Amino acid sequence: MENARSIGGRVMIGERLEVIRVGAEAVVSRLEWNGFKMVSKHRVPKPYRFPELDRLVRDRRTLHEARVIMNLRRLGIPCPAILLMDRSEATLYLQLIEGVELKKALDSLPVEEVERLANMLGRIVGRMHRGGIAHGDLTTSNIMLDRMENLYLIDFGLSTITNDPEELAVDIHLLDRSLESVHHRLRAVFMRSFLKGYAAAAGMDFLQALIEKVKEIRSRGRYVEERRKRY
Amino acid sequence: MTTISPDEKLVLGIESTAHTFGVGIASSSGKILANVNYVYRPKEGGIHPREAAQHHSRIAAKALREALEQAGVKPMDLDGVAFSIGPGMGPCLRVGATVARAIALRLGKPLIGVNHSVAHIEIGRLATGCRDPVVLYVAGGNTMITSYIDGRYRILGETLDIAAGNCLDVFGIKAGIGPMPAPEEYARRGERFHPLPYRVKGMDVSFSGLLTAALKLLGEVRLEDLCLSITETVYSMLTETLERALAYAEKEEILLVGGLARSRRLREMIEEMAKLHDARVYTVPPEYAGDNGAMIAWTGVLQLIAGQTLRIEESKVRPRFRLDEAEARWRMLGL
Repeated sequence: MENARSIGGRVMIGERLEVIRVGAEAVVSRLEWNGFKMVSKHRVPKPYRFPELDRLVRDRRTLHEARVIMNLRRLGIPCPAILLMDRSEATLYLQLIEGVELKKALDSLPVEEVERLANMLGRIVGRMHRGGIAHGDLTTSNIMLDRMENLYLIDFGLSTITNDPEELAVDIHLLDRSLESVHHRLRAVFMRSFLKGYAAAAGMDFLQALIEKVKEIRSRGRYVEERRKRY
Repeated sequence: MTTISPDEKLVLGIESTAHTFGVGIASSSGKILANVNYVYRPKEGGIHPREAAQHHSRIAAKALREALEQAGVKPMDLDGVAFSIGPGMGPCLRVGATVARAIALRLGKPLIGVNHSVAHIEIGRLATGCRDPVVLYVAGGNTMITSYIDGRYRILGETLDIAAGNCLDVFGIKAGIGPMPAPEEYARRGERFHPLPYRVKGMDVSFSGLLTAALKLLGEVRLEDLCLSITETVYSMLTETLERALAYAEKEEILLVGGLARSRRLREMIEEMAKLHDARVYTVPPEYAGDNGAMIAWTGVLQLIAGQTLRIEESKVRPRFRLDEAEARWRMLGL
C-alpha cells in the first residue's frame, strides 16, 4: 500500500494527526493520506480474549458497521462514507466530517436554529427507522454538525438492522435522555421539533406506535426515579 | 469468645431467598461473629420453592441457636434483626421474614429488611476492603454489573435472558459432565475453538442463543473443545461489558461476587483487563461467595446505622425487589 507505515505495531495508511476518540472498543484517529483528510476507526485487540475469538469479534463488528453504513448511504442518511476497509486490522477508513459534536454546539445556538436542527434530525432518524436501522447509541455526542449546518450521524458500533419497534424506540429514548442530562433547558423545544420532523418522514401512525414503546421503556427503566416520575 | 465493646451494635441476619437458610451475627466494627448456613438439596431436579420453604422452617430454630452459640451472645444483646426481604422465591422469603418479625417483636428491637443483592456486594466490600468498586455479580440466577452512583447501586449492565452461571450449568448437565465447575475443568483440555454467538449490546449480554448453539454442537465436536469455546465466550462477554462499565462509571476497583466468582479462568481474564486500566480486582472469599446469613447481618448493621429500618406493617417480602430499587444510605455516610 502506498504511503503505508507501521504505527504501534500495526499497518496504517497515511499519517496520524490526532486521536479523536478512545471508546470502549475502538480508537478513532484523524489522519492525512496524500493530502486527503480522513478518519480511521480501529477496533483494538483485547488481550484477555482468546485470540481466535478476539479476531472473530473484531472482524464481525467491523463488517457489521460497514454493512450498516452502506445501507444508510443507500437510504440517503447523512453519515461518513466508507473509503476503505482493512479487515485484517479491523479498521474502517471513513470520510472526515469537519464539524463539532451536536452536544458541544447545542447550548450556544439560537432557539430557531435548535428547532431547525431538531426537525432535520427528526427527518433523518425517521427515514433511518423506516429503512429498518436502529442506531443503538443515539446521543448528542454521536451527531455531528458541520460548517454548512448539516447534521451527520456517526458511530454505528451498536446499531442493528431491524424493524423491531422496541429497538427503534430505544433510539428516541436515548436521545431524549441525553438531552435531559446535558441540555435540560432545550429538551422540550428540541423534542417537539424532532418529533415533528420524524412524523414528516416516517408518518404519524408509525411515530405514535413508537411513542407508546418509548413510554413503556421508560416505565421499566433501570433508574427508579424515572419510574417514580410517572406515578 | 470475642469481646464486644459496649457501644458496638450487634445485628442478627437471616438469609432465606432460595435454597439456603442462613443465620449470621455481625458487629458494627465489622466483625462476623457467626455464620451458620443450611442448604436444602433436592433429591433430584431443581429447587421446589415450597419444599425448600419447608426445609427452612424445620431448620430455623436449630440454625438460630447455633448462631447465638457461635457468637457467644444472648438474644437481649442484639440491637436489630435483619432478614432478606427480596429478591427471591416467595415461600422461602416468607419463612425468614416470619422468624425475623417474631424475634424483633419479642425483643422489642428494630426490624431491618435487606435487599439480597445489596448484601452480596456489602459482604464483598467488607471481606476484601475495597471501597468503591464496579461489581460483577455472577451466580446461578444472577448476572449484573453494578456500581454505587448517587445514593444507590445502579445496574449498569445485566443479562437480557438467562444468567451466565445458569448457561454453563445447563450446558454441563446436558453434556453429561455436571454443572460448574465441570465445564471449566474440561475446557482446560480443549484445543480447538468453535465460534458461538457472542451477544453484547452495550453493557448488556445475552446467553440463550449461545447456549442453544453450543447444545446443537454436542456430539458433533470434541467435548473438551466445546467446553473451551463456551467458557471462553461467556467469560469474554462478561469481561468486555465489565470493561465498558469500568470506563463509564470512572472507578478504579472491581469486585467479583456470587458463585461464579470462584471461576479461575474468569478471574484471570478480568485481571488481565484490569491491568489495561490500572484497576484493582477483588474477589469475595469462598465462605461469603454463596448465599449466607452473615451478609444479611452485616448489611443489617449498615442499615441500622443509617436508620433504614422497617415497621412490621412494612415488612412484606418483595420477591421482585431489584437492586436499584434499594437505597444505600450508609454509602452517603461514607460507610
